Amino acid sequence: MRIELKKFGEFLTSRPAGKEAFLAMSAYLTKGLSEEEIIEIDFSGVKVLTPSWGDEIITKIVKKFKNVKFMNVENPTVKATLKTLRKYSGISHESPPF
Amino acid sequence: MENLEKMAWQWVSEKVENVDISSENYCKTRDVFQARLEKMTNDILQEKEIGENKAYIVAAIAGEVGNNSFDHNLGNWRDTPGVFFDYEYRNGGLIIALADRGQGIFATLKKVRPGLANDEEALKVAFTEVVSGRAPEIRGNGLKFVRENVKVENIHLDFYSGGAKAELNEDFKISEAENEVNGCLAIFRIKK
Repeated sequence: MRIELKKFGEFLTSRPAGKEAFLAMSAYLTKGLSEEEIIEIDFSGVKVLTPSWGDEIITKIVKKFKNVKFMNVENPTVKATLKTLRKYSGISHESPPF
Repeated sequence: MENLEKMAWQWVSEKVENVDISSENYCKTRDVFQARLEKMTNDILQEKEIGENKAYIVAAIAGEVGNNSFDHNLGNWRDTPGVFFDYEYRNGGLIIALADRGQGIFATLKKVRPGLANDEEALKVAFTEVVSGRAPEIRGNGLKFVRENVKVENIHLDFYSGGAKAELNEDFKISEAENEVNGCLAIFRIKK
C-alpha cells in the first residue's frame, strides 16, 4: 500500500489537519490491512511538512504497521520533521533515509 | 524598532478595544492563518531573497508557532481570538512577526508542571523539554523543532511571553523582557 501524502495537500502543518487526514486514511486507505502489510509513505509533492501534522499521521502509522518505508524525502521540511519525530515522538523506525 | 515589530507589539499589548481586527495581518481562525502562511511561502519563493529550501523551513517553523497559538488557546483566549501574522523584506532578508493574545506559555504549562516558578522557567521548558499543556495528549515536539531549525538555518528568533524573552540563534538565552507580553510574540529575522 502506497500512501501519497500530496493527496492531503502540499502544506501539511497543523495537528487538526493531521488528525483529519489520519481518520480519512484509516477509513479509506488502511482499513482492514494486516500489521504485516508493507506501507510506503510517499512524500513527493509535499512542500511544507511539520512535526505537528506528521505526529498525527507518520507516528501513528509507524506504530501500527511493522513494515513502513519512506519514499521521496528530499524536501528539507520532510527531512527535518522525520528527524524531530525520531528524536521526540518515540519513533524507532530505521528505514532509509533515517 | 521597525514598523512591523511595532505593529506586532501594539497588537499584543493594546487594550482590547484598540486591537485592530480589520487589517490583513489579523488571522481570526486557523484557516485564515493557513491560507496566509501558504501565500507568504509562495511570495518568498517568487521574491528569491532567500533560497527555496530555506523558504520551506521558514514556513514550517512559522507554521508551528502560529498553530501553537490556536492549539493552546482554543476556547481560552484572553479576549481576541486568533493571531497577528505579517512579514516584510528588509536589508536583503526577511522579518516575520507572529503574536497572540492568549494565556501565554507560563499559564499553559503550569497546568501540567505545577512547580514552574515563572515566565522565564516556563520558556526554558517549552523550548527544551517534550511537554505540552495539552497532556495527556502526547505532543510537545513543535518548539523543539523550531529551536533546532532556527539554529541550523542561521535564523534569529526573539520569543516573548509574559515577562520573559527567549533569544534563539546559535545559542539559546532566556532573560527578563523589556516589556510584558500578555500572550506570545515571536519575531523571526531570516538572512539570505
